Amino acid sequence: MSQLSREQIRTMMGEVLANQGKELPADDSASLDAIGFRSLDFSELALSVEDELGTELNFDAPGLRSITTVSDVLDFIEQLQSA
Amino acid sequence: MSDAVTENQQTENQQAATEQAISDQAAATNAAAAPVPACQVVLISGGSRGLGLALVRMVLDAGAKVATFARTITPELEQLAAQFPDRTYVASVDITDVDAVNGFVKDAAAKLGRIDGMINNAAVGQDSMHMQTSPADIARIIETNLTAPLVLTRAVLRNMIRRNGRGRIVMITTVGAQRGYAGLTTYAATKGGLDAAMRTLAREMHGRVLVNSIAPGFFASEMSSVLGSEQLGAITRRTPSGRLVEPENIVPIARLLMFEDTNLNGQVITVDGGSSI
Repeated sequence: MSQLSREQIRTMMGEVLANQGKELPADDSASLDAIGFRSLDFSELALSVEDELGTELNFDAPGLRSITTVSDVLDFIEQLQSA
Repeated sequence: MSDAVTENQQTENQQAATEQAISDQAAATNAAAAPVPACQVVLISGGSRGLGLALVRMVLDAGAKVATFARTITPELEQLAAQFPDRTYVASVDITDVDAVNGFVKDAAAKLGRIDGMINNAAVGQDSMHMQTSPADIARIIETNLTAPLVLTRAVLRNMIRRNGRGRIVMITTVGAQRGYAGLTTYAATKGGLDAAMRTLAREMHGRVLVNSIAPGFFASEMSSVLGSEQLGAITRRTPSGRLVEPENIVPIARLLMFEDTNLNGQVITVDGGSSI
């Protein structure tokens, strides 16, 4: 399974937000609440990543609840890929 | 003086930026809050006969596309598929076969486009006291009526929400999930489970997917096959509307939930002539 780079994941995250008329800020410490990135958006991002990887990413909700910033999202997806 | 002008200009610029940000946020919020569009591609499980077939006809009459599967394809469904080849996708699939179900969703979306509507209709019935229902039969009913629809819903949602997609889902459940009826213990448990899943999904999907249940009373045709005319008459008399439910009573409610802007979400709509009140 090939892995996506952090920048590729970031681009995909930006696309999820752009589809809703929102913008991904340059600062990775930006709060997800502030930019309107919700749990369902994370699910949609995970589906986009799956399409690229060709494999399913399944995960439990508790891990998601600790995600509060853009950087957390990127970290989580990177960890999922290497799990 | 010049400093004051610069300061004023900066303040105005900041105000303009703030107003623009608020305006952008409001636009995004409005976009998210806009009504979920009428469905264009509806997947219906168990569309070969009875209520399922009536629902397939309803979707085609509404001008939308329909994908449906059943273990056995009836001549009536074959005829509809032949009549509307560009707006139908029909296959023989056992709903408990996970690979086949996932393959059906993928193939249906490839032929008809992104699935934005689903009616979970396929189910097996029950007419046995719980103590006399074998463990194997209990497991079979749960697998067909609860596990399989949840797996199908998962597959459809994964297709539905891509690229900011939205949609609508309807679970066909039963009034038996709300009131006790002898002989339906496992059946009622599975349908009550679907009602509970429906409410949870309505929350989980944040309004991007409207999820509701239609809970029919007992269909006249089903009742007449197991009850005598005297019992049937007694049940009918106890029903305020004076008649038992027919598939034709369910179809308009399903049409409403698939195509109209009702803002219904997370609800069980009971259609039983008032017999459960």
